Amino acid sequence: MDSEIVYKFFADYIYKNTGIVYVKADYYRLDMRLNAMVRELKVDSPKEVYELYKKNITKEMHTLIVDLATNNETYFMRDKKPFKALTKAVLPRVLEKKSIKGSNIWCAGCSTGQEVYSILMSIDKDCGKEVFNNVKIDASDISTNALSKAKNGNYNGLEVQRGLPATNLVQYFSQVDDGTWNISNDLKGKINFFQHNLLVDPFPKNKYEILFCRNVLIYQDIENKKTILENFFHALVPGGFLILGSGESLIGTNLAFKQEQIEETIIYEKIDEKALKSLPVTKIESAC
Amino acid sequence: MRVLVVDDSRAIYTMVKEMLIDGGHDAYWAADGQKAMDFLKEEKVDVVLLDWNMPVMDGPTFLKENGKQIFTDAPVMMMTTENSPDYIKKALSLGAVEYIMKPFTSDILFNKIELVLE
Repeated sequence: MDSEIVYKFFADYIYKNTGIVYVKADYYRLDMRLNAMVRELKVDSPKEVYELYKKNITKEMHTLIVDLATNNETYFMRDKKPFKALTKAVLPRVLEKKSIKGSNIWCAGCSTGQEVYSILMSIDKDCGKEVFNNVKIDASDISTNALSKAKNGNYNGLEVQRGLPATNLVQYFSQVDDGTWNISNDLKGKINFFQHNLLVDPFPKNKYEILFCRNVLIYQDIENKKTILENFFHALVPGGFLILGSGESLIGTNLAFKQEQIEETIIYEKIDEKALKSLPVTKIESAC
Repeated sequence: MRVLVVDDSRAIYTMVKEMLIDGGHDAYWAADGQKAMDFLKEEKVDVVLLDWNMPVMDGPTFLKENGKQIFTDAPVMMMTTENSPDYIKKALSLGAVEYIMKPFTSDILFNKIELVLE
């Protein structure tokens, strides 16, 4: 059997279920994932994996392929600046409008948890206990394995050194054994983790003041990006903020966001649609 | 950037030196805290990487001495197999500004250097 048929079958399945695009040039990455499935399913070759999936895809088999297809590259305080933008500008602006000094935040595509824990550590350090105590934070990911690790909060010696200052390590982690560190219950207990597929699952409306989704959209094609960004727009309250990864933007969409650069980070503020007529709005359009 | 590696293991120094050179930096070696002090009285560096356990003068003693005499104003970062929270807290209280636990990767080394030079 032509291995191209095997690759195409899995590339199509992954695209349909996660939106992650594997073009022919990415098939070598797909091959690595198929070989991981060979080991997991205890068969002899990718072709045997293909035969199994052609027959019937159980829930466990679906989970396995989604977990392997998603790229869980992440680390604490990744890029640093977005967290400064959050605590120095975004959160203070949100709090200005509220009597209770808290906020609803969603970290979409939280992977193994480093991003959402970095958000909470930054808020705790920079904004004080009152704000920290009143922040409500949701964190979601498509991958069962990644979410399980995020909820568990165990990280190895290399993971806790990637991006994390030593002061944060001793403040927010306890050492479980020689090579494992566990994040404190004070942080873990504040987060509502849930599984969410950005392409197929429903989105809440007008719920969040701040939405973090970094380095997730880069794996999606233009159409899926537009759909997800439109859903993010509706998930935010008027005046809410969207923070994307440094390589991501609203290009190709026509959503009523006001764009601004703070701490070398582009932030997008959802315009209050009721006030649209009286406010100058920058609509971001492109030829894409 | 000039980095002083204070470690009694030549193998560790060689490994870290290769990482630093790959990153475009200069590496210098002192095999214990006393040799590091002597070196720093003559030479300026940008960062000091300091092992915990060494003969003649160990890492914590070097930090204490530097607290009294200040023979370097470069940030001092621990680089050690000692990895318990108590060790980390002690080093930070003695004046170390960051802490690298062995084993580590070059990514971690450069990330930590970036952190202390901010």
